[in-house]
Amino acid sequence: MHNLAGPLSQVASSADVGVPAQGPAWASLIVFLPLLACALCGVCAIVPAMRRTKLPAWITVALLGVSFVLTVLLYQDVSAGEHAKTVLVTSWEWFHLSWGDAPGQQFVASFGFYIDSLTVLWMLFVTGLATLIALYASEYMSHDVGLGYCRFFAAFSLFVFSMACLVMGDNLLLLYLGWEGVGLCSYLLIGYFYNEAGAVAAAKKAFIMNRIGDLGLALGIMLTFWHFGTIQYAELFPLVAPYVEALKAGDIGQIPLVVQAIPLLLMVGAFGKSAQLPLYVWLPDAMWGPTPVSALIHAATMVTAGVYLIARTYPLFAVSELALPIVAWVGTLTALLSATIAMAQFDIKRIMAYSTVSQLGYMFAGLGFLTSTGAAFHVFTHAFFKASLFLCCGAVMHGFAGQLDLRRLSGVSFMKGWGIVGIAMLIGCLNLAGFPLTAGFFSKDMILAEAFVTPGPGYALAGWILLVTAGLTAYYTFRVFFRVFVGPQHAEPGDEVHAHDGHDAHFHPHAPGWAINSVLAILAVASILAAGTYFIEKEQHGWVGKMVHGSTAAEIVVGEGEHAVRAAAFRHDLVGEHAIHGESHEPAGDHATPEEAGGSSIAHGSFLGMDPHAVMYYVSSLFGIAGILTAAYLHGPRGLFGLFIGSRTEAATSRADALVPALGPLVQWARHKWYVDELYDFLIVKPLWVLSHIFHLIDQLLIDGLVDLMGRLPSIGGRSIRPSQSGVLHGYAVGMASGLAFLLLLVWLLTL
Amino acid sequence: MIERIAWLWPEIILFLATCVVMVLGVSPRLALRRQCAFVSGLALFLAAMVAIATGPMATSPWPQMVPFMKGTAGFVGLLTLLVLAGTVDREVDRDQELGRGFAALRANRAEFYAFFLFSMTGLMLCASADDLIWLFLALELTSLPTYVMVTISTRRSRSQEAGVKYFFLGALGAAIFLYGFSLLYMGTGSTDLGAISTQILAQAEGGAINDIAMAGLVLSLIGVSFKIAAVPMHFYTADVYQGAAASVSAMLAFVPKAAGFIAILLLVSTVGWQWGVADTAGVSLGAGHSLPEPVRLLLWVMAVFTMTVGNVLALLQRSIKRILAYSSIAHSGYMLVGVIAGPQGARFIDNGVAATLFYLLSYGLMNVGAFAVVASMEHKGEEADDLDALRGLCRTRPWLGWTMVICALSLLGFPFTLGFFAKVPLFTSGIAAGEYALVVILGINSAIAAFYYLRLAALPMLEEPVGEAPALTRVPARIVAGVLSAGAALGMVLVAGFFMERAARAAVPGLFDGTHASQSATDQIARSGERRADE
Repeated sequence: MHNLAGPLSQVASSADVGVPAQGPAWASLIVFLPLLACALCGVCAIVPAMRRTKLPAWITVALLGVSFVLTVLLYQDVSAGEHAKTVLVTSWEWFHLSWGDAPGQQFVASFGFYIDSLTVLWMLFVTGLATLIALYASEYMSHDVGLGYCRFFAAFSLFVFSMACLVMGDNLLLLYLGWEGVGLCSYLLIGYFYNEAGAVAAAKKAFIMNRIGDLGLALGIMLTFWHFGTIQYAELFPLVAPYVEALKAGDIGQIPLVVQAIPLLLMVGAFGKSAQLPLYVWLPDAMWGPTPVSALIHAATMVTAGVYLIARTYPLFAVSELALPIVAWVGTLTALLSATIAMAQFDIKRIMAYSTVSQLGYMFAGLGFLTSTGAAFHVFTHAFFKASLFLCCGAVMHGFAGQLDLRRLSGVSFMKGWGIVGIAMLIGCLNLAGFPLTAGFFSKDMILAEAFVTPGPGYALAGWILLVTAGLTAYYTFRVFFRVFVGPQHAEPGDEVHAHDGHDAHFHPHAPGWAINSVLAILAVASILAAGTYFIEKEQHGWVGKMVHGSTAAEIVVGEGEHAVRAAAFRHDLVGEHAIHGESHEPAGDHATPEEAGGSSIAHGSFLGMDPHAVMYYVSSLFGIAGILTAAYLHGPRGLFGLFIGSRTEAATSRADALVPALGPLVQWARHKWYVDELYDFLIVKPLWVLSHIFHLIDQLLIDGLVDLMGRLPSIGGRSIRPSQSGVLHGYAVGMASGLAFLLLLVWLLTL
Repeated sequence: MIERIAWLWPEIILFLATCVVMVLGVSPRLALRRQCAFVSGLALFLAAMVAIATGPMATSPWPQMVPFMKGTAGFVGLLTLLVLAGTVDREVDRDQELGRGFAALRANRAEFYAFFLFSMTGLMLCASADDLIWLFLALELTSLPTYVMVTISTRRSRSQEAGVKYFFLGALGAAIFLYGFSLLYMGTGSTDLGAISTQILAQAEGGAINDIAMAGLVLSLIGVSFKIAAVPMHFYTADVYQGAAASVSAMLAFVPKAAGFIAILLLVSTVGWQWGVADTAGVSLGAGHSLPEPVRLLLWVMAVFTMTVGNVLALLQRSIKRILAYSSIAHSGYMLVGVIAGPQGARFIDNGVAATLFYLLSYGLMNVGAFAVVASMEHKGEEADDLDALRGLCRTRPWLGWTMVICALSLLGFPFTLGFFAKVPLFTSGIAAGEYALVVILGINSAIAAFYYLRLAALPMLEEPVGEAPALTRVPARIVAGVLSAGAALGMVLVAGFFMERAARAAVPGLFDGTHASQSATDQIARSGERRADE
């Protein structure tokens, strides 16, 4: 039974809690088992007998699986204990620099783990999905058995290790280590096919884009240390608490500007890693990596690191006036922009990539709308359905020799052996489209409703944008489904016809094997079950809500908008508020009446005069279904699978083609991704290129000239004194005598 | 006098062993004659162990340095002996191969070991010195046998030429520092280092150090710098190292150098480091932590010229032995930085003398390896001394090749080798003493040194082998010595802290030494300065 006294005491005592208790030591195995897997894959690469087998995959699957089981045990540990329990597990002291005894004169960063329910929530799906996707990859990567296979699984395991450091680290430095680690693994895996220029360029692009974000994160961490004197979560959050109190008292002037600047810098890091405007352009290109990588790293886990960062340091974000509104608006605009791009693409994997960017936008918007629960819930559901969508695309790509063009594939579900893929794809699409009663539907609703509830700068407009985007999402999702998975059977092979096919003319698609099918089935079932978690612990907005409430992401209570409102407004989905306002609060679903607290009126937003929480289910359903129907009309095949309104009879053309001239250049622009890459190229790359050529010239002529001169000086000096080493004995004696005389004279003249 | 015996057991052991070696050497039985090397090694090992076990020598200006330096000398000497062993035997063998008569009559292997042991005895006696005359005799005992060893190390005229040069120039150097010693005696009225120190302190408190005493100190330092091959006494180095067999050069690079540094530290300790930096005349006690200005200036100029000349000349060489000879000059310059910085500071990294002592130990260990590689390679019956002999050595002779790579990198001070951990304290102590210009010059010189040391490391590692692999001399002990040296250059890093602590302890000046005796005066001046600042 959950009682409200728990969080109450939690909030009351958060200011004076000391170091949290030590947790079970075996929890660090969750982090280190993937590292062990990485090392063992390296061993496999060295030993020829092991290299020729699928051993690296089985090592990875087994160790990641153990890691997942341990995470489940840890979850039971955390959920069985006191609510919102935070424990530390310290492996060893990593950094301990000290230059004084005063506070802020020690720099401590241990290799330790901060375990609360938010950590466990993230680790559950990270390790769980990693295990499944490693299993999928064992089949998917089977053409590369050998060194490449070892390399793939080593980087894969290293990624899970880094992600675990990022999520479980008990300080910002360990988070940064993980942050850089996942960036590195992402780079390695995008560039997995390093013989292809495109893959190399995409890897570099991802790495460099992330560097820009990482710079922000690094500065944010430095500023945190500079101001607070610590980067350990356990010490940091009690120090932030006074500012949160000041915020609640409406005294925003008391909060130093430095503190307000920290989240702005951290945010840059989050935008880079999670592919938000303006740093999103790397993610679609990241699809050059093998599909399991796209599913795990570039859809389910790594790209949610930004969401995790903001959720983890939510108290820091809350005490800044600008941070959360910026997060909300960046998320909203990213969602819209990338959804429009996704509508016009033909490469199904690329569509999924843009849809990932778009859904990440929803998550950021959710954070900005003060529903860290909604954001985390969407991360959670998205992880499952997006992973399954990617893996379905991967199965298609694997089976049809790299074919991803939706104009060259049709009716895949009906081909022999592709049933499970079709069903998994349908379930994933329904989730992504926000079809009623799916997991994606509930999680998206939570964010959409908050947009209208939370008073903030233009949040209602953002809510409308996100609603429209939900419709667009449904359209482009089912555009893929109706074009590729139903309709007349048609398949053209891609350009990766396998060597064992003999010659190109005899291409025959091969249906996925047991590993791919079972993983798809598990993920499809999981993404259905994810919806069920919404109904567990209903009073806390589902199981995910419960997990989030027990963490730092919920240890603040803030409002938005003007200062006065900020002081009084409170968030209904953050349990802590009950403690602050000293009044009990009805569970979700009963928010229709405006509430009074502390004598001031609360600006509880409304949706066209209705309570957003109540009506959002229906409104978003409408948008979603409208999107699906539009897709069915424009792209659906004739008959039931086009919902009787479609008319497509062949793979390459559809009714949508007739619309293209009517929309004018819009379609062209969207197809070219609104020319953002070209814009960046023109604004940043070209000027830098010109500048670098100028500097190169300066470097060659001036700097190198000087350096060469300096480099030659010693030899010139050597040559000039070489004659003194003539080998003549009396010459040496004269040299010694004159040196003696010189030194004596020098000492005599200068000092006596 | 008799109580000194307590600290002289290592020397006595070595001397007795020398006698045994000489007796063994005239035995008609080859098997017995061959035991010379083992007896020498055993004696060195015993002497080193006894030296470590003895306590500080109270009458020495550096009581703790006595066991430390004797131990260092013993163990580095042992490593050197592995390279030296068989140097003359090889010549004898070659004579027999060439049919040059009955070689046994000309065999001087026993003398060779005896000379080596004499030299080591001299080195240890240097460490025990507390008197100018003792110091002079010890220094000469260290050097005189080396003149002969250079001459007999090979049968070629080049060795004889080197021996003659070494002897004459060494005599010149000895004359200079003996003259210095006599002036020092004249200026202070004593040959006892403790008494000299007290006298100089008294003179300084009375107004000024006697000019004659100061001139004597300056002359002594210049003369002794012959032993460490510092500019302007460096001219002999390259010719002698090249002329002697590589194994003997390995010994020359450590034994006289260690003796020279001990002598310099002993001489400098008579004035101590308690003089003000700004006090240009250096004739009164200041509150600072510096040598008297004439001595500081002298050592400063010598240090700068020594490292620079050594490094720039090493750049131009093609002979490995000449490169190592010039680089050994440069290393002396580095170590002088520590001497200038002085023994201030409780921490190891601030203590220049400790840095010098630790560097001496490290240099001794890692330098043997580089010479051992040269000594192990033969080309047409000659030592393979040209840089080309190193090409692709890691592939053709992996043990030798990697020894050269590791030792060259360590001598360069490449991070995470012993040389790095030895060099860093020189920098930090220089900074702690405020000698910024010197530290910058030290840094620049380290960069110049990288040029030729990286060549020594890159040739075996990166280049393709040219022609057939160089032949090995039939003295496997040399390869063992090289591998041990390379192992020390890497492995000592793990236990460097232990030796650094020993070095820091060894660098504590003795009770009646000038530095310490004047400590109260220094403190008083410092305190009065603070009081003035407060007012």
